[in-house]
Amino acid sequence: MSGFAYHEPATWSAAQDLLRAEPDAMVLAGGTAFTLLLRQGLIRPTTVISLRRVSGADGILADSHGGLWIGAMVTHTAVVRSPIVRASWPEFADAAARVATLRVRNQATIGGSVAHADPASDVPVMLAALDAQVIVRKPNAAPRVPIDEVLVDTFTTSLAPGELIESVQIAGRGPNTRAAYLKFTLRSVDDYATVSVAARAEVVDGTVRAPRIFLGAVGARPMRARSVEAALADGARSRDFADAAALVRSDVDPITDVRGSAEYKREMARVFTERALRALVS
Amino acid sequence: MKLSHRASVAAPAERVWAVVMNVPTAAKCMPGVAAVDPLGPDRFKGSLLVQIGPVRLVLDGEVVIVSRDDAARKASLKAEAKDTRLGGTVRATIDVALSEGPSGCEMRIDGDVQIAGRIGEFGQPVIQRKSEQLLAQFAQCLGRTAAA
Repeated sequence: MSGFAYHEPATWSAAQDLLRAEPDAMVLAGGTAFTLLLRQGLIRPTTVISLRRVSGADGILADSHGGLWIGAMVTHTAVVRSPIVRASWPEFADAAARVATLRVRNQATIGGSVAHADPASDVPVMLAALDAQVIVRKPNAAPRVPIDEVLVDTFTTSLAPGELIESVQIAGRGPNTRAAYLKFTLRSVDDYATVSVAARAEVVDGTVRAPRIFLGAVGARPMRARSVEAALADGARSRDFADAAALVRSDVDPITDVRGSAEYKREMARVFTERALRALVS
Repeated sequence: MKLSHRASVAAPAERVWAVVMNVPTAAKCMPGVAAVDPLGPDRFKGSLLVQIGPVRLVLDGEVVIVSRDDAARKASLKAEAKDTRLGGTVRATIDVALSEGPSGCEMRIDGDVQIAGRIGEFGQPVIQRKSEQLLAQFAQCLGRTAAA
């Protein structure tokens, strides 16, 4: 394994300065994916900038409307155990708890998971359903970008060289907002999903409105179930769920691999979309 | 790994065939291809850069036209390339076939790709998805080039 220059800046601006000086540098968050790629010999970084000492990057804050601000370096375990997250979006904490094993969750970060953009990851799919905003640190600005626009392709984000993920924001919920994350694993519970479904909606007396549904591991990015959303848009009850969920087959684009054939994944996408809708009203 | 791609190309089959069989011109339609040079009448060398997130493959190698049937508009190609930095080899057999379609022509590309070494560790699903994306862009560009 070849050596590389390693930096641990203490502030965001110091990290940005380093990145400006070394445009080819790799940015390290928790390092779970990085270490695998390095050990497999698939990446050969010359410079690595770790964000582990960046002041304030591992904080979780809530606003007065129950919205969450989650620093890029917050680990999955920190989300799972956070009373702040549990108070406003317990479903997000539940989704983070489905990631791999405890050892991975102790190390892997929310910002790293978004930046890695693995379409089979759990947290980005849930963040997409919750319409999370990613705060991107650019040289002279820090815009909020919808996560759906950040995740563009397999292992690929819309971030330009020199840009960093500072945090992720999830807006507060209404009194009738429901959310669910279902993950189907074929081989073992700590595996990547064969298919996962994240859904949120407004639910009043068993009627679902304004659903937002994303699926993981069945496309190059979290796949939005637009046909299902459209079928449910005007308000739907549980008797409508099976027909609506069947439409998901055209919303996904799975490929055949060790976790199942493309056709099997399409079918499981249907099954788990229906279950997610039922979970919203249960 | 078998790959199969079908695309409708908005140009007459005759013109698309002329573009496809002009390897240096056709290669310009493949995203990431740099510097294709002829080594003989049916043999070319070149390099292909493929970026999948943090992983960057630089494949240097050769393409050989093994057989071609201009009347039937079918050809068979063999490619072999190496990534010397990461360590790995890609070997591919590619069959290209064109047929007249309702609005232009239909292109069929069937590939059998073998990946050895470190590149293979990246996982077949990722490589398959990337290959399909590249082929789709290749087919679109061929249509534009042939129609121009």
